[in-house]
Amino acid sequence: MKTKQLLIALLTVATVFSACKKDTEEIDTEYPSIDLTGSAFPQQCAIIKKGEKFIFKATLNDNVELGSVSVDVHHNFDHHSHSTEVNDCNLGAVKQPVNPFLLIKDFPVPSGLKTYDIAQEIIVPANIDAGDYHFLIRLTDKTGWQTLKGISIKIN
Amino acid sequence: MKKIMLLLVSTFFCCGIMAQTHPLNGVITDDFQHPLAGLNVKLINTGFFAVSDSSGKFNFQLPNGKYELMVNAIGFQSVKRNIVIDGKAVYLVLKLTIHSQLLNEVTVKSKAIDERRRQESLNVEVVRTDFIQQHLGGSLMNTLQRLPGIKTIGIGSGQSKPLIRGLGFNRVVVVDKGIKHEGQQWGADHGLEIDQFAAEEVELIKGAASFVYGSDAIGGAINIKAPVLPAPNSFGGELNLIGKTNNALYGTSVRLFKRKERLFFDGRFTYQNYGDYRVPTDSLYVYDFAVGLHKNHLRNTAGRETGIHFNTGYITSKFKTLFYLSNTYSKSGFFANAHGLEPRRVNAEVHDASSRDILMPYQQVIHFKLINKNSWIVKRHNIELEFGYQHNFRQEYNHYVNHGYMPPVYPNAMNIPIDLEREFDKKVYALNAKDQITLGKHQLQIGINGELQNNVINGWSFLVPAFKQKGLGAYAYDKLKLNDKVLLHAAIRYDVAQINLLRYTDWFFSETENGSRGKLVRANNLIRNFNSFVWSAGINYNVDQFEFKANIGKSFRIPIAKELGANGVNYHYFSYEKGNPNLNPEQSYQADFAIGLNTEKWTVKLSPFFNYFPNYIYLNPTSAHDYFYGAGNQVFEYAQSEVLRYGGEIQVKYQFAHQWSAEVLAEYLYAQQLSGDKKGYTLPFSPPASALVNLTYAPQKLVGSSATYFSLDYRITAEQLNIVPPERKTAGYSLFNLQAGTKIQISNRPLHISAQLQNVFNTKYLNHTSFYRLIGLPEQGRNLVLSVKLPFNFNRQ
Repeated sequence: MKTKQLLIALLTVATVFSACKKDTEEIDTEYPSIDLTGSAFPQQCAIIKKGEKFIFKATLNDNVELGSVSVDVHHNFDHHSHSTEVNDCNLGAVKQPVNPFLLIKDFPVPSGLKTYDIAQEIIVPANIDAGDYHFLIRLTDKTGWQTLKGISIKIN
Repeated sequence: MKKIMLLLVSTFFCCGIMAQTHPLNGVITDDFQHPLAGLNVKLINTGFFAVSDSSGKFNFQLPNGKYELMVNAIGFQSVKRNIVIDGKAVYLVLKLTIHSQLLNEVTVKSKAIDERRRQESLNVEVVRTDFIQQHLGGSLMNTLQRLPGIKTIGIGSGQSKPLIRGLGFNRVVVVDKGIKHEGQQWGADHGLEIDQFAAEEVELIKGAASFVYGSDAIGGAINIKAPVLPAPNSFGGELNLIGKTNNALYGTSVRLFKRKERLFFDGRFTYQNYGDYRVPTDSLYVYDFAVGLHKNHLRNTAGRETGIHFNTGYITSKFKTLFYLSNTYSKSGFFANAHGLEPRRVNAEVHDASSRDILMPYQQVIHFKLINKNSWIVKRHNIELEFGYQHNFRQEYNHYVNHGYMPPVYPNAMNIPIDLEREFDKKVYALNAKDQITLGKHQLQIGINGELQNNVINGWSFLVPAFKQKGLGAYAYDKLKLNDKVLLHAAIRYDVAQINLLRYTDWFFSETENGSRGKLVRANNLIRNFNSFVWSAGINYNVDQFEFKANIGKSFRIPIAKELGANGVNYHYFSYEKGNPNLNPEQSYQADFAIGLNTEKWTVKLSPFFNYFPNYIYLNPTSAHDYFYGAGNQVFEYAQSEVLRYGGEIQVKYQFAHQWSAEVLAEYLYAQQLSGDKKGYTLPFSPPASALVNLTYAPQKLVGSSATYFSLDYRITAEQLNIVPPERKTAGYSLFNLQAGTKIQISNRPLHISAQLQNVFNTKYLNHTSFYRLIGLPEQGRNLVLSVKLPFNFNRQ
């Protein structure tokens, strides 16, 4: 009798469990990627001139759909942080910022793309402090996966 | 079946009150005045019986007459008493004597715990000091994660927060000595301010526990019981020493207590000092940048902890007033080469000069607590009244870094110290009142909980606004003993709460949407009112060796200040976190089951659960970047979505020989969002499936020692492929842990010695629920933990 009750109880549990079948809907679990090889600019340890403009070039890829890209250029005079790349460029001496260059900018990515070659003009003012800077690229895909790339550059 | 349940529940609150009954109250203790819980107290030939509660108390309501009372407990000599009820209340003290010196106390205790489990319709696990000493981890929660269904979210070697079946943060309530512990539950990078040496007994409730614990107890509750009162006319204490090799930890905890008849004091002091912890690798990658680790040390993860506790009180047989005062302090460093996801450049020479120093960044937490607990036994009532005051003060220190639009040089005129990144200052006043009434076969519990909070913030970085919060809840819970086999439970609860966010304006200028520069208002004054009605119903069916329980209930959680009002960049995650002032209280429906079998050789327990949230509050990473408030960072928005979760635990223990036992503890969890932007995805911090296989050899007596054991744990953890941004898939791993312990007599005092070898093979693995998972930091390597405990007694009997 007791074994029977136990069996029935176990069976009930098993039935309820098997009733919840998994959703087989495909979900995106891949991060987008920032390709900085070839003609991309700037690359790790690149040198950029004050008072001039340059073209930010990179190839952005995602397996489903790209989201948005944001660029942040900030000084690293205090050596607070290192880049995400293999090498650290030869940093100059630690110094106090006076008028460091700061750029925080969003660039639109046309919707529906898996690959996008971004080419955006960035103007570096002439009256800024020369020295070590970080060029941080943040790229998201439509789902919300974000990839960071932090490059060390020098502005002379 | 449903109809029967409904019928049973609906007939619950009409209690058949018997005419002219009188209370028979009592308490059961062992020879050492320790209360014995979960024992059956029978009145022979009447069908009346009661079960002693956690303080050993039991009660009956009886008409006048003669009765024969009997207590039968395995391991103790049975006790029989003749009782006459004659128009008056009767109070009994029953002292049970262990009937065989050969039986060890652990078996006796676990029997009492088993009985207690049989009286609860929710899944309950109880652990005591012996478990804590045997499995001692870096923190109490770390120690408890050996239990199936319990995991932690942690940072470093000493800070972690509980995850019950994948739910954590503000979805788990921690109760310390009757009062809800309030710290900064929302964050993954700080721990729980609890001294594990002061925890004598911890009860873990898996399931919808809101009806007793109120908002937040959606995933369950961890109830750290107040220490057992010293025995009358005792004067003694306990000395604990502890050492760990991995992070070169040394620590001590000293207890001293004294009790006359009615007045007692009980004090404890704990100190722990640890260095940087070691991982099984000498270099790791922060993104693609290689970071060398000096002697495998994770730079700057050292810490210090102190705990001071003082308890005093006055006890009579009818009335008790107890005061618990405690202050815990901890200072611990964060890994220096990456703060969150942000790679940091460090002066390796300075950091590697000592593995014990704490440099920037670091955190410091002080938690002060004062609790007063009063209880009366008045006829059939057992009334408890608790007052609590807590002050949680947490500071995060870091070198000033001008993130986003912050000025490159920290202005001299600032009132905030240059190194103070964040500060949270929380003061909480709590009040609990409870009456437990015995009415024939009913045990009715009614109660109220009230709480007032004041939260102030400081620091140059902003994440959560300051806020005030107040809440009041009332509940009724009835336990009906239908017969020897069936127990029915039903509970209802109603809560009201108000949260009041305060305005915050940036201290620096940013570029604004209209092109000018200005100070951004990140939070506006906001008042939200919430109310919630929850319920729970359950059944226990116990026949001899077989037990079955089922519980279904609704739980809730009011949105926290961060979810309503966050509006800042969390540079540790490169996320711009955006609160939603319109969130509704989170609701959860959960069904819990347990089937168990206990024979002399086999202990089997299967505990599945099903859980549905119509509106789970979720921090959703979007594809957008915010240029103004978010300073170019990815937007993370709080949103609500439908969530389904199910899973369960299996525990099988087989005593295959007198001194040998084997155990398997396994857990599985599945979670899926059914609506919203992340439909089809899991929830963050979902623990992967895992199983623990244990083999224990307990020869007990071994060359002059007693309570000797040798134990091997083999934990297999599956890979976690169910992820949601910004998580990463985590590979599976397996670990070996060894434990051994014994008790030897030194001049008539028992000296408890326990040793553990954690991560025997120095395996390199990633823990999916660790804060450091996202930057790929491996977990702690091999660690030898040694602890000794020496109880002492000044008045020898």
